Amino acid sequence: MLRFELKKVLSKPMNKAALLLLAAVLIIGSILTIRDVTYVEENGNHISGPAAARHLKEDKNKWKGELTEEVFKEVIRENAGINAIGQEDRTLDSEKNDSEKSGSEENDSDRIQESNRIDARTQGFSDIRQLLNLAFCEMHNYDYYRADSLSQEDAASFYERRISGLKDWFESEEVKGSFSEQEKQYLIGKYEEMKTPLYYEYADGWKALLDSQYLPTLMMIVVLIIGFLVSGIFSDEFLLKADSIFFSARHGRDRAVVSKMGAGFVLITLLYWGVVLLYSLIVLGALGFGGGECAVQTGLSNWNSIYNISYFQDFLLTVLGGYVGCLFIMTISMLVSAKTHSTIFAITVPFILTCLPPFLGRIEMLTRIMTLFPDQMLTINKNLEDFALYSIGGKIFGAVSVMIPMYVILFGILFPVIYWVYRRAQVK
Amino acid sequence: MELNMNHLTKKFGDFTAVDHLDLTMTQGVYGLLGVNGAGKTTLMRMLCTLLEPTEGTITCNGKDILKMGGDYRKLLGYLPQDFGFYPEFTVQDYLLYIAALKGIRPAVARRRVKELISRVGLANAAKKKMKKLSGGMKRRAGIAQAMLNNPKILILDEPTAGLDPNERIRFRNLISELSEDRLVLLSTHIVSDVEYIANEICLMKDGRFVHQGTSEQLISSMTDGVWKCTASKEQAAFLMKKYKVSNMKTGAHGIELRMISRERPLPDAVREEATLEDLFLYYFGEKAGEDHAAI
Repeated sequence: MLRFELKKVLSKPMNKAALLLLAAVLIIGSILTIRDVTYVEENGNHISGPAAARHLKEDKNKWKGELTEEVFKEVIRENAGINAIGQEDRTLDSEKNDSEKSGSEENDSDRIQESNRIDARTQGFSDIRQLLNLAFCEMHNYDYYRADSLSQEDAASFYERRISGLKDWFESEEVKGSFSEQEKQYLIGKYEEMKTPLYYEYADGWKALLDSQYLPTLMMIVVLIIGFLVSGIFSDEFLLKADSIFFSARHGRDRAVVSKMGAGFVLITLLYWGVVLLYSLIVLGALGFGGGECAVQTGLSNWNSIYNISYFQDFLLTVLGGYVGCLFIMTISMLVSAKTHSTIFAITVPFILTCLPPFLGRIEMLTRIMTLFPDQMLTINKNLEDFALYSIGGKIFGAVSVMIPMYVILFGILFPVIYWVYRRAQVK
Repeated sequence: MELNMNHLTKKFGDFTAVDHLDLTMTQGVYGLLGVNGAGKTTLMRMLCTLLEPTEGTITCNGKDILKMGGDYRKLLGYLPQDFGFYPEFTVQDYLLYIAALKGIRPAVARRRVKELISRVGLANAAKKKMKKLSGGMKRRAGIAQAMLNNPKILILDEPTAGLDPNERIRFRNLISELSEDRLVLLSTHIVSDVEYIANEICLMKDGRFVHQGTSEQLISSMTDGVWKCTASKEQAAFLMKKYKVSNMKTGAHGIELRMISRERPLPDAVREEATLEDLFLYYFGEKAGEDHAAI
C-alpha cells in the first residue's frame, strides 16, 4: 500500500516538475556555495571554488593547532610586518603613479591589484586575524582594522577579552534591562565553559556550508517543495473523488490511513536528507572535510555563540533541527490536508510557517514569540549567536536547546492526530 | 446475509435526505429507483459506512455495521456515482492498489486483477493509464474494483449514468452476471436498468420508500390506468396539462399520446398494459419527466 501511496504522489506531473525544480536548486545552490570560497593569488588575481580551497588549505594549515598566546603574538607580528611592507609598497606605487598616470582608470586598477597582493599574504592567518578583531572590538561593533593596532602584549588577554566584552555589553545602553541577573550569569557561564585554547585548522568547507545563508535557504526551499508534494496525500482522495472507494474498502479507515502517513514520512525523510546530505557532500567534497572538530567560535559568524560545539556538531544540530522542523511543518500541512480536504490550504501551511515569521518578527511585540516559530528550526546554524533564552522550571536554556525537544514532542503529539482525523472523515 | 435498516435517518442541517427508512435485504438484486435528490446516494453512502446516520442503525446479520468496521467493509463492493480514480495509474496498478486497500494478499490480488480485467473486457487496456480510458471503460474498471474482494454485498450507485446505449446494455448484462450469490443494491433513475435485472424495486421519494416490491407488484399497485390515443395539436396541449403523459409521438394523423389517468381521457383512447416507466411517472410526476428525457 505504501508503494502505491508514494506512486500516487510521484506520478503527478506537477510533483515531477517540483522535483526537477528541487534538483535544479540543489545544483545551483551547491555551485554558488562552492564559488563563495575565494583565494587571492600572489599576483593579486582572485580564484574561487575547489582550486581556491586547495590554496587556502595549504596556507591556513600552516597555522594548524591550538590558538595559544604565542600563536596570537605571531599573527600580530606577521600582520604588522605585512602592513609595513604594504605601506612601503603603496607609498612607492603612489609616487610612481602620481608622476606617470595620475587619476586614470589604469591607476585605480593597479592600486586594487596591489592591495590584493598585500591581502594575499595575510590569507593564511586571516581567520586568526579576524578572531583578534572580534575579541578586541566591542560586542556587535566589528572593526576590520582592529588587529592592525594590537601589540604583542595584547595576545595574552585574548580569551579574557571575550568574557569581559560580554560583561561590558551587559552594561551598555543597548541591552540594559534586557537580561535578568540569572540570564546574565548563564551567558557568562557559557562563555567561561568554552574550552581554551581553541583548536584551529582550515575549515572553510564547513564554514561555507554552515556560516552562509545557502543552507537555510536550501532547507526552506526543500520544505516548500516537500510541502507541495505531501499536501495532497490526504486531500487528493476527495479532490479526485476517489474518497468513496477508499473509505469503503476494508482498510480504508485503518491501514490505508497509516500508509498515507507513512508515505508522507518517507517522502519528507528521503527528500530532506537526500537534498541536505547531497548538498553537504558536494560542498565538503569540493572544499574539504577538514576542520570539523574546530569550535564554531573560530568562525567569524559564531564568535559570540553560547553553544560550545564544533563545526561537525553544528552541522549535526543544524541538519537534525532542520529535519525536526521540516517534520513538524509537514505534519501541520498534512493535518490541514486531512481535516479540510483542501490541497490548496495545505500547500499554504509551509509558506505561512517558513516565509511569514521573518516579516512578522520585525514587529517589536512579536519578536520574542517569533523566535519559537518552526522556521527557526531551519536556521539553527545562523542562530547560534542569538542570545534568545528561555526559563523552564527556574532553569535557563538557550533557544536551540528548547526548540529541538519542543518540536520533537509537538511532532510526536500531532502526527497521530492525522490518523485520528482522517479515519473519521465522512464522504458527503 | 441479511442487511437491515432500522429507522435510518440522515439530516444535513434542516434538510432530511433520508427519512426513517426500514428495509431488510437478503440475497438478490434490489433496485433503488427515484429521481435525483430522492436520497438514494445518501442511503448508499450510509450503507458503505461513508456517512454516519443521524438516527437509526444499519445491521449486517444483526451487528451494527459501524461497529463492525473493517469486518463489514470486507464484505462490501461499492461503485459510487462519481467514480473517482488516480489518473496517472494504469488500470492494473489501480486495481492492485484497491486490492491492497481491501486487504487482498498480493499474490491473490494479481490473479484476481488479471481475471477481472479480462471479465470486464479491459484486457487490452490493462497497461493504459486510467485518464486515457473512455467513459464506458472507466465504469468497467469501476465494477472490476468493486468485485475484487468477491463481495457479499455489492452496491452500485447509478452505474449506467452517462453511458451510451451499447455500453449501458453491456454493463447491465455484466451486473446481471455478477449478481449471483450476493446482495446487490442498484440505484438508478433509469427505469429500464432496474426493470431488467432487479428482483425487488424500492421507489424512493424525498428520503422515504414510497413503494417496494417486484416490478409486477408495483405495476399492479397503480390505481390509474394507462391509455393510448391519437389527438389533434390543440387536444394534445389540453391533455398534457390535465394528465401525466409518459410518451408523445407526432404522426401523420395527429399526435400519439400515452398517458396515465383514472378515467378514459378521450372516447377513442385504448387501455394499455402499464410498464415500470409508467409507474415511475405515476409516482414521481413532473419531476420524473425531466429524468425520463434521459432514458
